[in-house]
Amino acid sequence: MTASQEDATTSTAIRGAALGALGWLRWTWRQLTSMRTALILLFLLALASVPGSMLPQEGIDPAAVTQYYQSHPALAPILNRLSLFNVFAAPWFAAIYILLFASLAGCVLPRTVRLVGSARQRPPRAPSNLARLPSSASYTTELTPASAIESAAALLRRRRFRLHTGDGWVSAEKGYLRELGNLLFHIALLVLLFSVGLGGVFGYKANRLLIVGQGFANTPTALDVFRPGRLVGPGNLQPFSINLQNFHAQYVTSGPELDQPLSYNAGLSYQTQPGAPVRHYALRVNHPLVVDGVSVYLIGHGYAPVVRVTDGTGTVRWDGPVPFIPVDQSTMTSEGVVKVPDARPAQLGFAGVFLPSAVDAAGTLESAFPSALNPRLSLIGFSGNLGMNSGEAQSVYQLDTKGLHQLRMAARPLAAGQSMTLPNGLGTVTYLGYQQWISLAITYDPGQMPALISGFAALAGLILSFLVRRRRVFVRAVPAADGRATVTFGGLARSDAAGGFESEFAELAQLLRAEQAGTSGAAPEALAEPDRDSGEAETAGADVDPHEVALTGPDGE
Amino acid sequence: MPINTAAASTSNGLLLGTVIIYAIAMLCYACDLAFAKHRVLAGATEPAEVAVPELVGAGGGGPAARGPAAAAGSATTTGRNRPPVDVVTSKPASRWPSGFWLRLAFSLTCVGVAVHVAAILTRGIAEDRVPWGNMYEFIAAFTCMAVLVLVAASLWYRAYYMGVFVLVPIVFGLGVDLTVLYTPVGSLVPALQSYWIAIHVTAMIVSIGLFIFGVVVTTLYLIADRSQRRLAAGKPSWPAGILRHLPGPAVLDRLSYRSILFGFPVWTFGVIAGAIWADHAWGRYWGWDPKETWSFITWVVYAMFLHARATAGWRGRRAGWIQLAGFLCLMFNVIGVNLFITGLHSYAGM
Repeated sequence: MTASQEDATTSTAIRGAALGALGWLRWTWRQLTSMRTALILLFLLALASVPGSMLPQEGIDPAAVTQYYQSHPALAPILNRLSLFNVFAAPWFAAIYILLFASLAGCVLPRTVRLVGSARQRPPRAPSNLARLPSSASYTTELTPASAIESAAALLRRRRFRLHTGDGWVSAEKGYLRELGNLLFHIALLVLLFSVGLGGVFGYKANRLLIVGQGFANTPTALDVFRPGRLVGPGNLQPFSINLQNFHAQYVTSGPELDQPLSYNAGLSYQTQPGAPVRHYALRVNHPLVVDGVSVYLIGHGYAPVVRVTDGTGTVRWDGPVPFIPVDQSTMTSEGVVKVPDARPAQLGFAGVFLPSAVDAAGTLESAFPSALNPRLSLIGFSGNLGMNSGEAQSVYQLDTKGLHQLRMAARPLAAGQSMTLPNGLGTVTYLGYQQWISLAITYDPGQMPALISGFAALAGLILSFLVRRRRVFVRAVPAADGRATVTFGGLARSDAAGGFESEFAELAQLLRAEQAGTSGAAPEALAEPDRDSGEAETAGADVDPHEVALTGPDGE
Repeated sequence: MPINTAAASTSNGLLLGTVIIYAIAMLCYACDLAFAKHRVLAGATEPAEVAVPELVGAGGGGPAARGPAAAAGSATTTGRNRPPVDVVTSKPASRWPSGFWLRLAFSLTCVGVAVHVAAILTRGIAEDRVPWGNMYEFIAAFTCMAVLVLVAASLWYRAYYMGVFVLVPIVFGLGVDLTVLYTPVGSLVPALQSYWIAIHVTAMIVSIGLFIFGVVVTTLYLIADRSQRRLAAGKPSWPAGILRHLPGPAVLDRLSYRSILFGFPVWTFGVIAGAIWADHAWGRYWGWDPKETWSFITWVVYAMFLHARATAGWRGRRAGWIQLAGFLCLMFNVIGVNLFITGLHSYAGM
């Protein structure tokens, strides 16, 4: 590898531009797949993620982005141009991870080929001087060199080593699972990325606000927010429908955690398709409803005051619940607007505040508790042009007061059943009571299961590559005086991340000695003691091993 | 939800006791460093592997052959290292601590960690749930894990010398936890009411404990490595006096590497478990919430450390700095994200 790299560099220097596209391509590929590049890309990936957590993101909280635009009018457009409000979908973010995964693939594929190759080949020949290895031992035996080698080979084979025997030596290698684990980890990461992409293309996300008593069918028009994947059409949506029967929220009523929610429970009835039997489900946080592979989550709730608006002609122009948005989660003080575009003689609009548990606090009403113990609705009336025909999209939660003028009337908080007469004969408004609403998140993500499986596969690969060490042991036997044989036993761990090779080596040495009965006195002082506890005493052969260079096997490392 | 106030105040008392015991243990470890002259580790533990490879495993060579190797200083930073006791007796040293101060310090650490565990258990009994629902409980739990790692490393790798260095940040962290971050017992908001809290948060606690131990060792490694290089260059090095009582940089490097080898898969599992839980609670398994983003950043930086550790030219000092950076990301995730950034994990707040 190094040699060919040098070749490439030399030829580049000589032929320069004449090297041509292919040479440059090879050079680029080599650079890309080097570990140094991978390290730099990992660093860039980490660095690039930081603004995604510091700046508001379109995909997470679009309202916060709008707010950022208002508070930083000069800076925001520049940040937007740099995709900093959408970091994780930004082209430069994609560039980093695509390069990283290309680098990864370029590293993993050749290694897979090599692993297959080395699994087929035999371990390398035993080096001549085993005493130079990180671990070694020697002893003499009554056996002849040939039978000593034979019995050593038999022992190592029983221990599931791969063997290569020659004249007076045996080489054994074990621990290919380490490299397999390493490869599994990296390939699983590739699959994980692919699964995420799969979900993005074939899945969809939607939101729907649902008032108690209402229902909807899973069609794009019935959903408040619908974000389909690239290959999802309106016809691909699962045809279920959901009705909200009831909703109950429970809160802590005393103590330091007053107002803290204890539980939310939404009683749903649903059909998997039109005409199918109606089923019931108690939807709670952490307990999504799964219909037809689609998951439905409870992600929010609030109050919807029921309001009746009668216009100047005496006609009822609005009669029903209006969802208000909670502005304070601990008291559920909520704000919202009522728009009555059909009112005559002038269009009417109301901005309102809903207090679930109104109490008098120094002259002003406030909500003291999130449950509706003493609900009050306070409305400010407007008349004029609501601006709904201008063609511009309008929020249903905001009043465009440009064409409106505020009605002069005492702002009196209404209790259920109370009415307020509008000045100038514009009509009356009545607060009839309240309903509750929930917001649902609906997601379909076919990449979810593959992502989960690849995530756990990556974890398994990681653990495997950390726990298993690849190690080689060698035995040499030479004839000694009086017809005996001197056996030397050496070993090295090629990757001993978690340590512990030395104790395994010692154990093997003991076994070998016991196997080859007729051992004479030379053994004890030559053997490495089992030394499991002293982590400090283990081989460092794992990480940097000067001997490994000398022992380069046929697998070319 | 029933709150057992008696158990709650017991837990508070036990945690306060834990801090006091740890503080005394810390002082005893310091006394051991100061007074126990019998264990000077650093000088003898750096046999230069490249220079004298014959030594490797050649038990017959004995202490005489090791002398020059030790004197030769360090040609590599990743040599084999044996405490000098091994060399003298050819036997592994005892697993148990030696010397009055060290025995006392280690015994106190063990008592302290037992009281710590009891404090966490009584807190759980008081609340009738897994006691890691807020910052206060979370810090109490992962500091406990860090001390457990210290105890395990002491017994397993005889890393008694780490005691004082690990206990200083632990005592500080628990002190802040008890004073600034104290939260009375309480129930969980609906988003946290899931058995996944036991899985996800436990994995995070275990890995953070390992990462804390790892980063303390790595900091010592970086100091020892720098000191060694300065001494080799004939320059003065003020930490050299204390460092004599520690093993050389190579041993520290390996010890820290081991804790990351354990911690990283657990962290990975914790992130995956968090993703599964996020999918149950919020309808997506990954949404780049600030907490998720920073756990991803932490994961990437620790992955960088592991890769750097396996790459020529990056292992050693550079890898050490990367691990330090990874730990800073982790701490920002644990504390900074809760303090400065609002996200879906904000409820876990202060």
